[in-house]
Amino acid sequence: MFTDQHLPATGILQTWLTQGTYVSSPQSMSCSQHPGASVQSVSNPSHEHSHAPICTVPGLSGHTAHTMPPHPATHSGVSSQGGWELVERLNLDGEAPRVGEQAAALLRAPECPAGRTTVVLSPEQAIMQVHESVGHPTELDRVYGTEAAYAGTSFLSPDDLGSLRYGSEQMNITADATTPEGLGTFAFDDEGVPARRESIVEAGVLRGFLSSRETAEQLGAGTGGSMRADGWSRMPLVRMTNLHLEPGEGSFEELLADIDDGLYLETNKSWSIDDKRLNFQFGTQIAWEIKNGQLGRMLRDATYTGVTPRFWAKLDRVAGPNEWQLFGLTNCGKGQPGQSAHVSHGASPARFRDVEIGVSK
Amino acid sequence: MSRALDLAEEALRAAEGDEAEVLVHAERSGVARFANSIVHQPTLVDDAMVRIRIVRDGKVGWASTNRADGLDELAKRAGEAADQARPDPDFPGLTPPAEYEQVSGYDQETAELGPDDQARLAAEAIAAAGDFGLYGYFTSALTQIAIASSTGLTAEQELTDAAVLSLSATEGASGWAEHTSWRVADLEPAAVTEESTSKAARTRDAQEIEPATYAAVLEPYAVAELLRWFSYDSLGAQGFIEERSFFCDRIGEQVFDDKVTLSDNGLDPVNFPKSFDFEGTPRQRVAMIEDGVARGVVWDRMTASRAGDGHESTGHAPPEDWRYFGPLPTAFDLAAGDAASVDELAERIGDGIYVTRLHYLGIVDSRGAVLTGMTRDGTFRIRDGKVAEPLVNLRFTVPMGDVLGEVPGLTRDRMLVNLNELYGERYPFGALVPALATTKFQITGTGSGPGL
Repeated sequence: MFTDQHLPATGILQTWLTQGTYVSSPQSMSCSQHPGASVQSVSNPSHEHSHAPICTVPGLSGHTAHTMPPHPATHSGVSSQGGWELVERLNLDGEAPRVGEQAAALLRAPECPAGRTTVVLSPEQAIMQVHESVGHPTELDRVYGTEAAYAGTSFLSPDDLGSLRYGSEQMNITADATTPEGLGTFAFDDEGVPARRESIVEAGVLRGFLSSRETAEQLGAGTGGSMRADGWSRMPLVRMTNLHLEPGEGSFEELLADIDDGLYLETNKSWSIDDKRLNFQFGTQIAWEIKNGQLGRMLRDATYTGVTPRFWAKLDRVAGPNEWQLFGLTNCGKGQPGQSAHVSHGASPARFRDVEIGVSK
Repeated sequence: MSRALDLAEEALRAAEGDEAEVLVHAERSGVARFANSIVHQPTLVDDAMVRIRIVRDGKVGWASTNRADGLDELAKRAGEAADQARPDPDFPGLTPPAEYEQVSGYDQETAELGPDDQARLAAEAIAAAGDFGLYGYFTSALTQIAIASSTGLTAEQELTDAAVLSLSATEGASGWAEHTSWRVADLEPAAVTEESTSKAARTRDAQEIEPATYAAVLEPYAVAELLRWFSYDSLGAQGFIEERSFFCDRIGEQVFDDKVTLSDNGLDPVNFPKSFDFEGTPRQRVAMIEDGVARGVVWDRMTASRAGDGHESTGHAPPEDWRYFGPLPTAFDLAAGDAASVDELAERIGDGIYVTRLHYLGIVDSRGAVLTGMTRDGTFRIRDGKVAEPLVNLRFTVPMGDVLGEVPGLTRDRMLVNLNELYGERYPFGALVPALATTKFQITGTGSGPGL
């Protein structure tokens, strides 16, 4: 896979087939199949990691454009429902040299400084922000406390529905269990509720929760549709399906154009958030300086931190549908006994103003 | 002979004609999970996973199933996987027969607990919660692990484990406590809840503090969690070989305070004892840190072969679900100190913070062993050597070199902390640790308050 003999590399290709059957009286439903595949590759010249880049594949989903990620995630690689065509789209041979060069360059790159600045999150990092600071806190079982001992609760309350200002007007979040190739795409959830697309945050206002039939009844809104177990020996829990940051307008270049001084943060490296999903801290593998609207030097060991609604309030632009990318995560942990859910998220590059970077410097 | 070894030998016969190894990992477990003082997610599992590893011409194939009637098909799939593989020059071959140290770790009373018992013991914990809601679980299990190999190796062990985890919580207040052991008779569910409730009652009206580097007293729950996350990159051979480990280029150097001595001791009956690992290699006690000096990491056969230089497996081949991570410690043993109590540790640091439990850790810098995460369910200020007012949950971002670099003390008493989050097949493991005082615990932010 990697052509540079100076760079030892490792990789994993996983495929799986999930079959689900839901049977209930008075009606029954038929079997659905969720074939999937994931690829992870690591180029490791020393202790620094960078991941293989992926080609662009337009026009795959209900979104105007749907691209494969430029960097496989650190979260078990690139994953989606599909077959061998996914692996072929990755163009690993073609993209590996660039990733190898980036990995080597990271060894010499200066450290990301500390301070406050404008930050543009790559789609792959933006989806982690969505997952941790929107997905989990909008799970209704957390809101009602049933995950308190382990995964935690939520800063949201049932009364916040329809009124809580989650972020800026540029923030639109959708839960869509019908997204093509999504790991959270199914015909019906583990309670037999048909898949649907629904708004969670609309123009910055909380409009929906992820729910089960029981929690939806308790709330008096919604009809469930997010109950999923990770296998035969675990109980279904309220889980994310495919939760997306909806695209805005314009290109990535236009997003950068009016930034005098900032950072572009790419490829998640570390993640942590508190038990109510307020205080978070993320690190990325690569950061790029933004100077006068252009990408500049590579920086290493970038981190940023914030508090969920304050951070999302600083979102002032999301790039358009042509920049939108879908990613799968296979390691979403929750429950006792523990369960690892497969979920997907899509996002375009997103710009946030006045973000604290360089934590612990 | 256990049903697991029976199954392993039956599967090995199905793979006749090839060099082969069979692992059976069976569990009968129950989790009585409760929230707001109601058992709401009881889960019972009775399962046996069979994994066959077949070697053909230096090529290795793996396959697994939990269908006892599918062993012929399983052997066929493993053979096909081997045929499709490339020879791995580092493959050390299957484990030869070995002598195992007989260890305890099985308790009949614990093995025989059923759902009614698990619900009863959960109810004992819940009844002690007073005005607080109780969140957590009672669990117990019997785990059977057996290995049979064409090399002539056979190994079997039965493990039991039980744990009660208690979060006493209401709006604006929460406290944490837990007990775990391989003998259910060691657990006192009501006492666990009394501890978590007492802690919770002291967390109301939590205050914020300014981010800065504080001295800190860490309860055993927090110490165990830090060690677990430190181990992922730094204390296993895979991270060491891949140069992600804090120990790279530091073996033999004084890296921590000389009060810090850490081993992995799966042979200790006070921990969760284990005779062998998932390749059938006898388990060894491994000194990782001695008097603050970095001594080594844990190995399995593949990483030892890959590293060469005389390395040998220490008996830490991981269970199926962890193969991606390579060998890791599963019986942490941090040496005790001389402090009579956590109150004495607070006296020693004078001014700082008191941390009960940590939440959602992440590795910021592998080689530098920089970890981040949040405190929760019992964070307090220490003033004038006394535990004082409650604090909100704090974000910490700490190099382990700082946390363990200057340690004013550790407690004489240690406790076994459960580290098994019950993902995948059951495999009890934990950390036998004291409370610890450090002069440097870097707080980089504040988060939510305690409670629901």
